[in-house]
Amino acid sequence: METDSRKSQLNAAMTANARMLRRMLRQERGMRRHSLEQIEGDGTSSQVVLNQDEMVMGRGADTQIRLASKRASREHAFLRLQGTDCLLVDNDSQNGVFLNGFKVHSAVLRDGDVIQVADSVFVYHED
Amino acid sequence: MAAFVKFWGTRGSIPTPASWTRVYGGNTSCVEVRFEDTLFICDAGSGIRELGKNLLTRKPRPNPLHLMISHTHWDHIQGFPYFEPAYLKAVQINVYGQHARDNNAYRVLSGQMSSDYFPVSFKDLGASIVADYLNDGEKKIAGVQVRSFPVNHPGGCFGYSFEKDGRKIVYATDNELEIQAGDLFPDEANAGPLRRVPDELVLAAQEADLVILDAQCDEKDYATRKTWGHSSCFSATDLAIRAKAKNLALFHHDPESTDLAVDQKTEACRQRAARFGSDLKIFAAREGVELKF
Repeated sequence: METDSRKSQLNAAMTANARMLRRMLRQERGMRRHSLEQIEGDGTSSQVVLNQDEMVMGRGADTQIRLASKRASREHAFLRLQGTDCLLVDNDSQNGVFLNGFKVHSAVLRDGDVIQVADSVFVYHED
Repeated sequence: MAAFVKFWGTRGSIPTPASWTRVYGGNTSCVEVRFEDTLFICDAGSGIRELGKNLLTRKPRPNPLHLMISHTHWDHIQGFPYFEPAYLKAVQINVYGQHARDNNAYRVLSGQMSSDYFPVSFKDLGASIVADYLNDGEKKIAGVQVRSFPVNHPGGCFGYSFEKDGRKIVYATDNELEIQAGDLFPDEANAGPLRRVPDELVLAAQEADLVILDAQCDEKDYATRKTWGHSSCFSATDLAIRAKAKNLALFHHDPESTDLAVDQKTEACRQRAARFGSDLKIFAAREGVELKF
């Protein structure tokens, strides 16, 4: 009986903590700014602010970060805001996604990372 | 069928949260190796906490989970009490020993949850935690051929290889590749011959798609840390070259290594591989990075 009561107190505390953590993450996410600066390829020097939960990079007409190269798949990769981080995910593209020169399937991005998608190269910034 | 590898903890010795470890991460050893829905967890360092949270979001949720502990030094088991799936009734976690009488990993994982160390006891965990074992270092688990092999670390340690459908992933951390007669050491100028390494390790890593190797030290560090059970990154590179592995992840970063130091170590290893004309691709294992083979 005592154990059940202790367990329910613990569960309530954990739920309250989780709620508080989610609120803090929302606030912190609002303060952090994620962006991509294109340094090679079509559209060089352009800067894209990553301000949607998910943005698509690719050759397709309805992508948020459009790539002109024929080496790019239609929906080549996703950029997802996850907590306070930005996650890069290869969408099983033909030519892959490279993080600082190494082929990855997905990665949590860090300030200064260099991302190569087809013939385009971007630098990721967070501030 | 593809194999996926995701790094959840890449740091050696002790968790190292700091602004200067933000890129490669400060959590201790934990690597996910996945073939379809079959999920292996290599070590339960502090990185396993984030893996646990992530597993709860997956649909379908992989079950059972296969936990392979390289050895039971703190930095390889300390995250287990914070692994949320261990608290859920629907989950089964198989903890593997090297043979039928080896329940050492299971025993130490439960021992670290005695009341002197942690408020929840092992027997009160909701999950079914099973002391399973390899058959003298080998077992086919859900179609994946798993092999273990001893590596050189104080108190003993094991590496693991995972093979299925022509994909091979090797995890061998906390391994000291000793300098042999005829090797040039220290070789900070990167001018010496390819080092000699144990044949058994070359065989274990032979033609792997990915080898994850202990590379805690650079040449200068290793000079003062012989017999500590960790390798120079140059020796790890030479092992991967000799094994004709395709990719090498430098792993178990020193807690004193800044992100910049890890970058410099990686670049030096790349130059070494290039000098030997090897096609080996080298990168530093980094928290939150997932690879597909």
